[in-house]
Amino acid sequence: MPGRYKAEVVARRRFGTLVELALETGSAIDAEPGQFIHVRCDKEGLILRRPYSLSGMAGSVVNIMVREVGAGSAWLCASEIGQELDIMGPLGRGFSIDGGSRHGLVAGGTGIAPMRFLADRLRRLGLEETLYWGVEGEAEYGGLALELAKECDLLFATMDGSAGEKGNVVDMLLDAGVEGLDGIYACGPRGMLTALAESLNDETLAAMQVCMEERMACGVGACRGCVVPASPPRRGYLTVCRDGPVFRGRELDWERIRG
Amino acid sequence: MGEDKRINLEVELSGIRLRNPLLVCSGTYGNGREYAEWVDLEMLGGLMTKSVTLEPCAGNPPPRLWETPCGMLNSIGLENAGLESFLAGELPWLSALPLPIWVNVAGFSQREYVVVASEISRSGMADAIELNISCPNVKKGGIHFSSDPREAADLVEKVRKVVEIPLYVKLTPRCGDIVEMARAVAAAGADGISLINTFPAMAVDVETARPRLANNTGGLSGPAIHPIAVLLVWEVARALDLPVIGMGGIWSWRDAVELMMVGADAVAVGTLNFSDPAAPLGIIGGMLDFLKRKGIDSAAALVDMAHREGG
Repeated sequence: MPGRYKAEVVARRRFGTLVELALETGSAIDAEPGQFIHVRCDKEGLILRRPYSLSGMAGSVVNIMVREVGAGSAWLCASEIGQELDIMGPLGRGFSIDGGSRHGLVAGGTGIAPMRFLADRLRRLGLEETLYWGVEGEAEYGGLALELAKECDLLFATMDGSAGEKGNVVDMLLDAGVEGLDGIYACGPRGMLTALAESLNDETLAAMQVCMEERMACGVGACRGCVVPASPPRRGYLTVCRDGPVFRGRELDWERIRG
Repeated sequence: MGEDKRINLEVELSGIRLRNPLLVCSGTYGNGREYAEWVDLEMLGGLMTKSVTLEPCAGNPPPRLWETPCGMLNSIGLENAGLESFLAGELPWLSALPLPIWVNVAGFSQREYVVVASEISRSGMADAIELNISCPNVKKGGIHFSSDPREAADLVEKVRKVVEIPLYVKLTPRCGDIVEMARAVAAAGADGISLINTFPAMAVDVETARPRLANNTGGLSGPAIHPIAVLLVWEVARALDLPVIGMGGIWSWRDAVELMMVGADAVAVGTLNFSDPAAPLGIIGGMLDFLKRKGIDSAAALVDMAHREGG
């Protein structure tokens, strides 16, 4: 059951441009990787909450990763230990972990947040996973790649070649091969997700789940603001906040998403 | 508690009794169910549903939202599952609540408005209709009905004939003469007026030179438009003896009281619900404290107070 909490910032770590916040909600949280919390920004002039995928969870503490891209995220990035945040969550539909033992996780940039949580969950279930993470340059996310490499099987790609493999993360996954994977999970920029979806065949697309992002208002399916195009025959739109944010590859109309 | 009982929060609009004057605006509370696990809906004064159209409506392509300073642009485009699904799934659930329901009706032609309003009335499950003739986000989706008082009156007259429950008309703030428009729909048989819908507006990303919304333009809501709502409610309430539901950027109990003082018989919270689903209940509490502090014995006594004091 989702709830509304006055959550206290109990830890704050910076990884380059990314700030990871740990929030103490005061009650046991039951969340799935891919679910998000909707955070109120108590700053004059900002009127909407901001949705953040959970990057981890332990008991009554949830983690999010925030990158400064606008006034709301700047305010959140600057929040200090002890500060209280008004959060709603966990919200939305998370990843469902399919049967089978081999799982490929693909993240682009800040899309790493839900993937870190998912990798952790898969590991606890004793499943075999490889996390492919692509970024522009190593410095962007500080020492996060090094930390992740200790937690799981990480394949790291940078566009500028500053660390790991030079190039984009979708190519890295495709080169490694997707045929034998029981589950493909992805989160990242639209361009990355469409490139991935369009290079999969029917069978592998069925194994793919994506965590989508869109500008959001209510967070609970009421306003129909945060939609993504649904695939035929359904057409129309699905809400990221309630129908998603995690969708099966086949549920979405990738042609319309590419635009 | 003893003291509370002496203050009467009830208001009556077109014969409909509301336990307090706080409703929630169409489009900001879904059809109630979305918020049932977050808020005790029975504590609200009333609920205005998401727009219902005759056929299912997919709405506009995304992005549909953009936040502006103290405001929000939206271009949802009336997405809804259509009349049949609303009557079968949503309205029975809503009408089981001890809560007055205004069903917001929209259309792409006169005929559609008439059919939907008639079916809603006939269902016996709605307390009132709010006719949305001012959606800024669909072509022919209403706003042209509210740009011309004659067209608006013609539509209201036709709907009036097929509806047996109170008929409210929601007007756009982008209107040459709001009093003329309100008079026209009142003469055509409207029982009340909802003021205001969102204000047509736009934002562009200068890095890409592209509009922020896929639909290019949208409707502005939030605190940024509140003073416009205060003015238009003031003007309409002064000129007409017709119930007005005031809405537009209510962000605190003060904003709600302000709209009542300029003539709103009830008020509706909109965009604020997104960041605080329980906001209407907090506003009721704030209003109650204010009435106590001022020694005013009823919420209804706030209505028109500014007209009596200064107008």
